[in-house]
Amino acid sequence: MNLKDLLSPFFVWQRAFEKPYTTMKPTIERPGAPAYRGFHINVAETCVGCGSCHTICQNHAIDMVPVEEFEGRPGDSGLRPRFDYGRCCWCGLCVDICTAASLRMSNEYAWFTDDPNEFHFTAGVDDKSWQQNEHGYRRAEGYHLYPPKRIPMDMLSPEESVQSFDEVARGYSEDQAKREADRCVECGICVATCPAHMDVPDYIRSIRDGDYENGLQLMYRTNPFPATCGRICTRRCESVCPVGILGEPVAIRWLKRFIVDQVDAKDYNRILNDDAGKQSGHRVAIVGAGPGGLSAAYYLRRYGHAVSVFEAQTKAGGMLRYGVPSYRLADADLDKDIEYIVSLGVDMNYNTRIGKDIPFEQLLQDYDAVFMSTGLSLPSSMRIQGEDHPRVLSGLQVLADVANGRDPGIGRKVAVIGGGNVAMDASRVSRRLGAEVTILYRRRIADMPADTEEIHESQEEGCTIVPQAIPVEIVDAPDADQVTIRWGEAEMVQDPKGGRPRPVLQEDRMHEETYDCIISAIGQGSDLDYLTRDVQEQLAIEWGKFSPGEYQRTPLQKVFVGGDVANRTADAISAIEDGHHAARGIERFLNPDAYKNSEPESDSSRPGGEDQ
Amino acid sequence: MNTVDEVLDYAIDQEQQAADFYASMAERAEKAGMKKIFLDFAEEEIRHKERLLAVKAGERELTPEQEVLDLKISDYLVEVDENPNISYQDALIVAMKRERAAYELYSDMAEKVPESNIRQLFVGLAKEEAKHKLFFESEYDERVLMDN
Repeated sequence: MNLKDLLSPFFVWQRAFEKPYTTMKPTIERPGAPAYRGFHINVAETCVGCGSCHTICQNHAIDMVPVEEFEGRPGDSGLRPRFDYGRCCWCGLCVDICTAASLRMSNEYAWFTDDPNEFHFTAGVDDKSWQQNEHGYRRAEGYHLYPPKRIPMDMLSPEESVQSFDEVARGYSEDQAKREADRCVECGICVATCPAHMDVPDYIRSIRDGDYENGLQLMYRTNPFPATCGRICTRRCESVCPVGILGEPVAIRWLKRFIVDQVDAKDYNRILNDDAGKQSGHRVAIVGAGPGGLSAAYYLRRYGHAVSVFEAQTKAGGMLRYGVPSYRLADADLDKDIEYIVSLGVDMNYNTRIGKDIPFEQLLQDYDAVFMSTGLSLPSSMRIQGEDHPRVLSGLQVLADVANGRDPGIGRKVAVIGGGNVAMDASRVSRRLGAEVTILYRRRIADMPADTEEIHESQEEGCTIVPQAIPVEIVDAPDADQVTIRWGEAEMVQDPKGGRPRPVLQEDRMHEETYDCIISAIGQGSDLDYLTRDVQEQLAIEWGKFSPGEYQRTPLQKVFVGGDVANRTADAISAIEDGHHAARGIERFLNPDAYKNSEPESDSSRPGGEDQ
Repeated sequence: MNTVDEVLDYAIDQEQQAADFYASMAERAEKAGMKKIFLDFAEEEIRHKERLLAVKAGERELTPEQEVLDLKISDYLVEVDENPNISYQDALIVAMKRERAAYELYSDMAEKVPESNIRQLFVGLAKEEAKHKLFFESEYDERVLMDN
């Protein structure tokens, strides 16, 4: 060691009197480049909390956290991304994947604080100076990490489709299904929206994995009608799919159909491994063999309860068989679902009308519980003059005739009244029977309650929709085999009390037209005449529908209800969930001791049921 | 009916009669849930009566100048049977048609009497009935004409 080294500590002290090199904050802040990847900006209102940013982040710098003001919003997880700037590497992948394009980056990069824990924030929720920043990185227009367009389904052309009752949608090939499955970001928002809470992301993943048996098992956990729903589901899941915000939603329905189509019905028993011999000693009666009744039957059999189904028609399926035409749902596919359910030892009693062949009270006596899902089978009446004309047919009757192989005798020129799915089905069936079809609807096309796809396809197949047309009278036509309808144009008028605009007849703009028949399809109501007045009084019935409580239960201890006659949505998937939900309720009712320590399910805890 | 009070008493009595009519329909109703619906209708009529009582007491004024939306739904519907097995759709038709008849009655009376405060009263009452008709027609539009 030399002298300089010995003295150096004393010389260092002189530095203490010099101006420091580092400062708390640069005095001149230089703005980042216009496309700089600085602090994150999220438009929290546009974001739906899909979590794609969280999933793609390679550094685990993004957590999805609940934000109260967005919780419970339809099609929204209620979560928003929270960034950890101790981990972020500013790669911008989160911006590139964002399904709602709500996420981008500002060109700000300076954030000074003594507390390192402060470098966490929920973008768009926590107040940050850069939230309104105009600059910074954003995804280039038209750039997507996944294809924004769905893989198109092979369909019969409209010219081909009206030639027969063959199924219009032909199904995905394996390659198409895998490519479509790749578009799923696995956010799970669809799960919350699906009435049956089907595990959509996982069964879509089974397509990517090529494990269709696993896909089938996942679907049967919450829905024993996958072949049916894979074709005709109202697919509320797709309406909230975040991939649909910037492009087209994932074709969830077609992917479900693809899985079912890959598995042979004879392998169902082995794959699903349901015990057809299981016996709990309890007996349950089900009234109505539609999707609600048979869904309940399936899950009740899984609990081991003996199930007897009573059905007034000659076959099972309810509206799926007698109301949905085969070009949308072929009998063979519906039967694939039904036959598996029945194979679990369900006692089916066809041509048996409760209230006529067997009194309802008898069921209450003979069974430990009763589930009713009798649907909406009575066509509503227009109640206009001349409606009882023999050439006025009901839409439901026309559909049932065609399903039963009977000729409904509609003629060559048909007017269909209504804008719901029955009206669209009756119209498209009429086209297939060779008729020229005009649909008269009292509101605007945008107001039609029918599935938009059905409206579009009916138009493609040559049906003419006349919106804002109000029928006022039906009179005899000069030819006895025909009928004349008088209808007037409607103006849409804003309701002073709010709500959607209402059609008002313009009496100076009336029209008259003659048709071979008029098909009335303005809605359906319930037929509860099979219940005595006494029983009706005891069940909570409002507006001709049941209003069940927890687990679809009525005020009558052992009676549970579901399906169109007990819900507002009146679609197959809701009926299926009602049946499943009621089965769980009946199980708890029959085996209270087994559940005495478990909380009743809330709506949010329902997905999948507790032990199914 | 020469005085304002006499006319109002008549109108109030009509509302009471309507309430009584629905109460008796509730008593006889056979279909599920219809009893409650008729009781709701009866309550609605009692509300109408109370509004008119408030007019008579000088606590409220009729609004003869107010334009009321006419959906014209009941104008083209057939008469229905008021039987005990009546459906909700038909019950609404009965209610709409009764309100329409009342509206027409007061409108006719307004035309028949000379220009006076009595005429304005009849016009005001007609507008009240038009509002009641709109209430039932809106209900019909919402609940019965769902698919149409």
